[in-house]
Amino acid sequence: MSDYAAHRQSGLPVFVRRVLHGGGFWPALPAIVFLVIFLVLPMVTLLAFGFVTIERGRIVGETLTLQHLQSALQDTLIWRLTWRSFYVAVISTVLSLILAYPVAYLFSQTKGIWRMLILVAVISPLLTSALVRAYAWLVILGGRRGLLNQTLLNLGLIDQPLRLLNTDWAVIIGMTQIHLPFMFLPLLAVLSGRDRRLEEASRNLGAGQVRTFFSVVVPMSIPAIFAGLALVFAVSYTNFIVPQLLGGGSYATLAVQVYEQTVVVLDWTRGAVLATILLSSCFVFVYLIVAAGSRFSRWTERTS
Amino acid sequence: MTTVRSSPSTPGPAPSARLVDGIGMAAFVLITGFSLLLLVAPSLIVIAVSFEPRAYISFPPSGFSLKWYQSVFENRQLMDSVQVSLTVSFWVALLCLALGVPAAFASVRGTFPAKSGLNAFLLAPQMMPGMVIGIATLFFGAYVAFRASNTMLILALSVFCLPFVIRITMARLADLDPRLDEASANLGAGKIETFVRVTLPQLGPALLAAAAFTFIEAFDNVTVALFTSDVRGRPLPVELYYLVQNDSTPAIAAISSIEIGLSFLVMLVLARTVGLERLGSPSIKPDKT
Repeated sequence: MSDYAAHRQSGLPVFVRRVLHGGGFWPALPAIVFLVIFLVLPMVTLLAFGFVTIERGRIVGETLTLQHLQSALQDTLIWRLTWRSFYVAVISTVLSLILAYPVAYLFSQTKGIWRMLILVAVISPLLTSALVRAYAWLVILGGRRGLLNQTLLNLGLIDQPLRLLNTDWAVIIGMTQIHLPFMFLPLLAVLSGRDRRLEEASRNLGAGQVRTFFSVVVPMSIPAIFAGLALVFAVSYTNFIVPQLLGGGSYATLAVQVYEQTVVVLDWTRGAVLATILLSSCFVFVYLIVAAGSRFSRWTERTS
Repeated sequence: MTTVRSSPSTPGPAPSARLVDGIGMAAFVLITGFSLLLLVAPSLIVIAVSFEPRAYISFPPSGFSLKWYQSVFENRQLMDSVQVSLTVSFWVALLCLALGVPAAFASVRGTFPAKSGLNAFLLAPQMMPGMVIGIATLFFGAYVAFRASNTMLILALSVFCLPFVIRITMARLADLDPRLDEASANLGAGKIETFVRVTLPQLGPALLAAAAFTFIEAFDNVTVALFTSDVRGRPLPVELYYLVQNDSTPAIAAISSIEIGLSFLVMLVLARTVGLERLGSPSIKPDKT
């Protein structure tokens, strides 16, 4: 800053000058305070509620107890639900990668109106409510009148309507479609900005398109792939709307159980314990994905 | 520059590679087509179904009628919830801008120890599932004797949406040329004058985009709202959630179509201001500064 400008501000008190200078963390202070009060303290409360006994809306007893956590961890139902949350999320995440990657690649290869149309197709689900999209799948998969069953019956491919709704696959398909943009966006950024001379070099050296794709393009995008995997896994693992609507009344995952305990059964202690299990297991899985990603990208750097 | 290609007599890959390429190409076209269909078809089907004249869903619709749209607009409860949602979203967008924009300034322009720690903290809410934020706020509210209400919903949604505003603003700020600010200072403008006349106009589109994005996220959100919203003045997503669970009239398709239209409007705003492609770029490098 010039001496002249510095001189012009020297009339102000030191504190105000420091705030205005923009070099400090002062502008972030309101946001920090806000997050401490409305994120950190609530999270602490959530954790704490899992370790106290609540009866008729009152905290009973003075001491913290591990009893609720223990009884939840010994409950086989909870383990079954966690396992279902896990495999549904894994299948859905892998499917998203398989479906999103070619589209992101196509996007990076096209120009003009097509590029724009692909982008609109991918972003628009992001801006439409998950509820609306889940409803769309209800219409498509639902019962005898479901669109897919009607079509298949009319085409004569099946005699009996298939049971599509209220299955694992209904949940997986719905989740995959709803979370596809989260996979697509990191891929898009990396694939669009990539160095294309490497592919030319690969082609000039005699490699085919498929080989060039798998040994040049895909390794370049490893960090974006794992960023997408981590994100999609996290949102799929913790989604309770889709399993509830597409899985039906008797279908439950860990996230659904958290919702039921908190809102329907009103057993807040149980809800808090399950929410803690959900969140911490989610963090562990996401951490493993991120760690695998950095391992893998180092590995591709060394071999290529 | 003409000697780059080593063997000009045999351009392209070997025949076996060509076969692989053919199969690969077919798989690529198939998956891409399916994927794009999967993305677009559900929305189009919902819009088509909303014009159904009969009382139950069928596809293609048996005729064309706007009666379900009319029923939506005549439904007092739904219209009230739309109003609640609009109000809530407005305050969430305002609060997020007020908190997020200065925070983004500190994150990008600031020089102080533990800056990466600050960035991680500011973007921490995006690691949290909406449900966890909702439940945590509900429990905290109960603990300090503050009941579920739309004020609580606004606060919880602001926590949820704050990272969006910070990320969009940070991305734009990092792109700005700091020399323009220096030039302004050299010409004798104070910090405030520089901010208002130089920095803010450059940030304008990004702020509009951040506001639009936050508004639509708050308007659509159901995972936070289910836990924190008022029992009487329910916002639209919660109202819709109960409707979808119990009913499948084409009226829901009509509401959904309106929401799809609204999201296209927001997309237009985003495309015109920051560009749609940029939405993804900060997500891989949240702390690119």
